[in-house]
Amino acid sequence: MKKNLSILLCAILFFSISCRKNKTQFDGPSINEIYSDFKIIDSFKINKDSVNFTNAETAVFSAKFNKIVDWTISIYGATSKATKIISGSSKQIDISNATWNGSSTVFPIFNTENCKAILRVKDLTDSFMVSTKIVGTKKLDGFMIADFETGIKTGWTKFAQTGANMDFQVKSDSIAPEGKKYLSMAGTVNWDWLIGLIDFPAKAYGTSPVFPLGTNPNSEYFNCLIYGVPSTNPSLVLFQFREDENENGTFDANTEDEYDYQVTVDWVGWKLISVKYADLGYLVNGVPATPKGNGLRNPNKLTKISMLHLANPNDGFASSKLDLMIFTQNGPLQP
Amino acid sequence: MIKKINILILLMFVVNVCYSQKERKVTFVGGARSVMTNNRLVVNDTIAEDTSTAKRNTGGYALIDLGVNIKPNKNTEILGMFRIKNNFGGFWGSGVTFDVRQLYMKGVVANALRYQLGDLNLKQTAFTLYNHHADAIDSLPTVFNLQRNIVNYEKFYQKNTWRMQGANVDFGISFKNIIKEINFTGFTTRINATNFSSVPERLMSGAVIQIVQSNKLSASYNINSVYDVKGTVLDSNSFTNKVQSIDASYTTKIKENNLTIAAEIGNSHYAYSIDTLAPHLKDYFIHASASYKIAKYHTKATIGYLEVGPEFRSIGAQSKDINYNALPVYYDRYTNAQNIRPIALIDVISNDNIYNRTVSSKLLSENAWYNNAMPYGLATFNRVGAYGSIHYKKDIDAVVSYYNLSEIKGQGTFALQNFSILKCNAKIPLQAYLKTAKKLEVQLGTQMQNTNRTSTVEIENVNFKNTQYTAGINWEVFSNFELMVGLVSQNAIGTHFIADRNVYTEVTYFHQNKLDIQQQMKAVGLMYHFSPKIYLSTIYQQSKFVDGNKQFADFNINQFNIIYNMLF
Repeated sequence: MKKNLSILLCAILFFSISCRKNKTQFDGPSINEIYSDFKIIDSFKINKDSVNFTNAETAVFSAKFNKIVDWTISIYGATSKATKIISGSSKQIDISNATWNGSSTVFPIFNTENCKAILRVKDLTDSFMVSTKIVGTKKLDGFMIADFETGIKTGWTKFAQTGANMDFQVKSDSIAPEGKKYLSMAGTVNWDWLIGLIDFPAKAYGTSPVFPLGTNPNSEYFNCLIYGVPSTNPSLVLFQFREDENENGTFDANTEDEYDYQVTVDWVGWKLISVKYADLGYLVNGVPATPKGNGLRNPNKLTKISMLHLANPNDGFASSKLDLMIFTQNGPLQP
Repeated sequence: MIKKINILILLMFVVNVCYSQKERKVTFVGGARSVMTNNRLVVNDTIAEDTSTAKRNTGGYALIDLGVNIKPNKNTEILGMFRIKNNFGGFWGSGVTFDVRQLYMKGVVANALRYQLGDLNLKQTAFTLYNHHADAIDSLPTVFNLQRNIVNYEKFYQKNTWRMQGANVDFGISFKNIIKEINFTGFTTRINATNFSSVPERLMSGAVIQIVQSNKLSASYNINSVYDVKGTVLDSNSFTNKVQSIDASYTTKIKENNLTIAAEIGNSHYAYSIDTLAPHLKDYFIHASASYKIAKYHTKATIGYLEVGPEFRSIGAQSKDINYNALPVYYDRYTNAQNIRPIALIDVISNDNIYNRTVSSKLLSENAWYNNAMPYGLATFNRVGAYGSIHYKKDIDAVVSYYNLSEIKGQGTFALQNFSILKCNAKIPLQAYLKTAKKLEVQLGTQMQNTNRTSTVEIENVNFKNTQYTAGINWEVFSNFELMVGLVSQNAIGTHFIADRNVYTEVTYFHQNKLDIQQQMKAVGLMYHFSPKIYLSTIYQQSKFVDGNKQFADFNINQFNIIYNMLF
C-alpha cells in the first residue's frame, strides 16, 4: 500500500513540476490593443515625391498605429481619374503591405499626372492624405495583341454584320482605359448571335506562323479589358485560340485544337479579364466539348486568335467595348 | 413515394418467406414513436410587443423504424433499417418521408477476424476519438431525460461514440506466457465526400493495439488520422490531423480494496500540405489518474492530472455534439425584428435538430452559457491542472468532483485564465428508507464553474460564473405508473471574451462578452410503462429565458407533449 502511494505521489509531483506555462507569447491579437482608443504613432507618409514607374520604381506608403485596424489607401489620378486601392488589416503600413507599382484598380490606368493618396481607417471619421507625382507610367510587360492605338492593324480581319445601329470601330475619347483609343462594338442583329468579329493571326505580328509564347500553359495568361455599357442587353465576348499542332502553317478545324473563353458582359464599366492558358476549354455553341486535336494546350503553337462579339438575337441591341488584349507570363496583367 | 412503398412491400414479402423457415434467419428490430406537442411562446421584448411571431404552435409526428436483421449463416449478420415518418397533418405523400436509417453488414472471418461494413459506432480514447457530450447536464431529472433519450436515439449516441460510415476490423491473439492477449482494432471512415471541384474526399482512419499483460496491467497504442485523399480535387493542398497516444492502466488489490492507476500521453499534428497561410500545429497532452475503491464504504476516490497543450488539435475528440449555430426547431425567429432565437435550455435538452450525428472537420464554437471551463471535455486544448472526485454508490448514488485548471498560453494577453468546476450530483432512492416497494427517487445536482483572469490591464480581466441546479422526483404512484417532476436552472453571469477563429483554428479577434443570462425549466409529467421497452407519457414544461443585459429579448416557451415510445 505504502509503495503504491509513494509511486502515485511521485507521479503527481513529476507532472506538477513538468507542467508548462507559456509566458513568452499569447494567442491572437492583444486584447489591450483591441479595446484601446485608436492612435496614430507614425504619421501617414509616402517615400517618394515623384515616381517613375516606367523604370520599375515603386512607391511605398508607411504609417504605424497603436493597434490592429482595417485600413484602406485610395490613390487617385488628378487628370486620368484612375484609382488604385490598397487595403489591409495590421498595426503597421509598410513595404510588406503597401507598395504601389503604378497599377490601377479602377480604370482607366494612370497617366503621367499628380496623384493624391488618402488613408482611411475603419470606424474612424478622420482620414489622412499624402501626394506624389507620376513622371513615368507603368510599362505593360507582355506580348501585346491589340491596344487599338493605331486602329485596325493590317493583317487583322474584321467582319461586322449589317444590323441596325451597328458600330464596330476604333474610337478615341475619354472612356479609353489605356492610351487614347479602344474598340467600340454595338448593334442589333436579330437573325444571328454574331454581331462582329476580328481575327488576329500570328502572321500579323511578324513572319512566324505562331505567337511568341512559351510552352508551359500554366505560365501564359491572356488578358483583356472589357467595358460593359449600362442599360443594354448583355454582350457575349468569345475568344477563340487556334493551335497549329502539326506546324504546317495552317489550322485544321477537324484535326487540331481550338480553345475558347467566353465572357458574359453583365457589369458596367471597364473590367480586367485574365485567364490562364491551361484553364481554357473548348466550346461548341457555348457548351464544353472535347477538342478535336491532341487535347494538349500548347501556347507555343497558337496561330490565330479570334474575338467575337455575340448577343442573343431575341434580346435586341447589345454593346460593349474592348481594349488591351495582351499575353503576360507567370501571372495576370497588372495594368 | 408509391415506388418506394412497393419496394418495401416486396422486401417484406421476401423477408416473410425467409422468416417462415425453420431456422430464425430473419428477425425484426426497431422502434416506433409518436410525439404530439403543443407550444406557446411568450416574448417579453423591452422595445415593443412582439406582434410578428405566431405564438401558438402545434405539431408532432409518428414514425416507425423497421429493421430487418438477416443472418444468412452463423458468421454473418446484415441489418437494414427503414424509417417511415409522418408529420402530423401529412397524408399519402405530403409530409411523409421514407428513409434508410441504418445499414451494416458484420461477421467473422475464419472464427478470428471480426469485421463490420456500413454504419459504425466508434470510440477510442478521450483524446483520439470520443464524443464527450461536454455540455450535457450530468444529473438530468427523469422527466427531461425522456426527451434527451430521444435525441440520443436519433443521433445514435451510445455513451461516448460517434456515428460514422466505413469499415471496421478487430481481432485478438492470446498467449500462454507473459502476455495474456493482444487485441487489434482498425477502421476507416468517410468524414466528407468530394464534390470533384473544391471539396476533397476526407477520411478518418484509426487503430488501437492493446496489450493485455494480465487482469491487472494493460497498455494500448492509439492512432487516429484525418486526411484528404489526394487527386479527388484538382487542388493539391491537403489537410491532415494525426493524433497518437499511449495509455496504460494498472489495477491492484489492497486487501478488499482496489487501486487503479491509469495514464495516457500523446501528441497531435494539424497541417495543410502546401497552404503557406496555414500553421503547422503540434502539441502534446498528458492525462494521469489514480482511483482507490474502498469496498467497505462503497466509495471510490479519484485524483487526476490533466495537461492539454494550446495547439493540441483532435477532430475525433474535439468535435462538439451541439452545433450552437443551428436554428432551433420551434420559434427559430422571434420579436418584431424577427431576430434569431438563441439556443436555450429547452433546445439543449430536447431539440435533436441542433445535435450533430458525427464528427466535424471544423472546430465548432463553444457556448459559455453552458460550459466555459471545458467546452471540449477532457480534450479541451490549453488546459493544465488537477481534479478529484468521490463517488459513493450503495442505495444512494452520489458524486462530488472538483476541477482546478488554468490556461497554458494566454489568450490575447500574458495573463492566464483560471477555471474551477465543482459538481455535486445525487440520486436518492427514498423507497429504501420509507420501506415501500414503489419507487420514489429524488435527484439533486449542482454544477458551478468559475472563470477568472486578473491582469494589470483592467480590460483584460475576466470574472465569469456559470451555475446549474437540477432537482427531480420520480414517484411510482401505481404499478408501472410514474409521476415525474423536474427543475433545471442555469445561470451565466459575468464578463469573458469570445474568440473568433479562422479556418485554421487560429484566434483572429476577441469580443468582450458581458452576460447575465438566467434560464429555468420546470416540468411535470406522467408515464405509464406497458413493458420495460414501451411507455406512454405526458409532459407539461415551462421554459424561461431572461437576459439581464437585454442583448436578447426575454421569452418563455410552455410546451405540452404526449410521447409514445416503443422498442422491439
